[in-house]
Amino acid sequence: MSNAKKFDVPVKPVESKSYSYKDDYIPFIVKWGKITCFLGFILSFAPLFVLTFVYGLTPSASSILAGFTAMAGVAAVLWIIEPISYYPILGIPGTYMSFLSGNIANLRLPCATAAQKAANVEPGTEKGSIISTLGIAVSIIVNVLILTIGVFAGASILAGLPDGVQEMFNYILPALFGAIFGQFAISQPKIGVFAIIVAIVMAWLLRNGFLGFLPGHPSYAVIIISIFGTIMFGRFLYNKGLLAK
Amino acid sequence: MDYLEIANSPYMWLAAASAVMVVFVQAFIFVKKSLVAGKEIGLSNSQMKSAMKSSMISSIGPSIVILFGLISLLVAIGAPMAWMRLSFIGSLPFELMAAGFGTEAMGVSLGSENMTATVFANAVWTMVLASLGWVVFTGLFTDKMENMQTFLSAGKKELIPVISISAMIGAFAYFSADRILNIDKGTIALIIGAVTMIILMWIADKKNKQWLKEWGLTFAMFAGALIAFLI
Repeated sequence: MSNAKKFDVPVKPVESKSYSYKDDYIPFIVKWGKITCFLGFILSFAPLFVLTFVYGLTPSASSILAGFTAMAGVAAVLWIIEPISYYPILGIPGTYMSFLSGNIANLRLPCATAAQKAANVEPGTEKGSIISTLGIAVSIIVNVLILTIGVFAGASILAGLPDGVQEMFNYILPALFGAIFGQFAISQPKIGVFAIIVAIVMAWLLRNGFLGFLPGHPSYAVIIISIFGTIMFGRFLYNKGLLAK
Repeated sequence: MDYLEIANSPYMWLAAASAVMVVFVQAFIFVKKSLVAGKEIGLSNSQMKSAMKSSMISSIGPSIVILFGLISLLVAIGAPMAWMRLSFIGSLPFELMAAGFGTEAMGVSLGSENMTATVFANAVWTMVLASLGWVVFTGLFTDKMENMQTFLSAGKKELIPVISISAMIGAFAYFSADRILNIDKGTIALIIGAVTMIILMWIADKKNKQWLKEWGLTFAMFAGALIAFLI
């Protein structure tokens, strides 16, 4: 299939740029993305292997199933919705990296976009995708380094910090979310206002039980409507020529 | 034997480290290829350097936040699993929830005195199994998501950046909405963070200050947290 394609498509000099991205870079990333995801899948079981065969700890199948089912009730929709929703920002390589390393909303997305801003490239483009790959890779190294040093050396220091300082750290995550929202909302204020109103209304409906008619834990409805509703609104504004440049 | 001795044993460290290694291997392979491909499609060295520098700076704040989360998690499930789950697939709110569901399934609340080695093992089972969904879905379908995007933009290429920024705004509006409705100090932190960022980015654009773009997120984050704390 891929061989046949190469013969069919004449390589014009104008197209040579995207040719190498689409026909060399992306297939390479997809191949290794799949291999590393498979490896990650296998090695996820390493701690379970140790618990079972080194320490002989075997919780009953029904306990495992009960824990997993409760968790799947919350997470099953996210397994699908999150990759699809973040894909336009992360691109193909960024999606493989972010979902293997985790901490997406609070670390990978901000880093990918900070990298794209610093390099002056658009998200969703070929350049944007390569830049976000570099940004995410750096964030992985920094994150694991800080966590490793923190676990070995810092645990006691952090525990010894005055209570007041620790309390301040509770507010870092909300401040970060607000800051990222502000960063994007200012570039497209109409979309920003629309998105925050829709998200607040949906979250309010969820809190007050108005989404109870939906199957499962209906938080997925808030995600879908917030993200895809905003995409539809952005498209609408773009088609009407109402978007800020 | 106390379950925390098992949870913090060298075998658990070895198991956790082997999983985290995959993340590093993948990042190494992708970066090597991206540096070459980036040059080919016309990215300059300074663009790539500035991207990596900016990401490094932006990683520090959130990573320290994650470190605090890790410490809250390691009290209950030991250092190796906490370290693994926050470096590989997981994230703090999700892992806390999974560990909680895992122990509750055996009628024990997470981190309580009733924790036994088997209860701990059940928490690990729950965390591991529940995290697999993401890696299975992205492993199988990432290369097919292009169709999804094409479908959404109905074949118009110029629309893709519009869709990306809309998705981003929508996602962070979603993350923010619940915290806004809480109406507590977290709400204040969020609003101060947003306002500070808007002002900083406005200045950075007007005066064309590149360093301010790189540090903006960190400044806004600490400004929001500090003001919420002091109020």
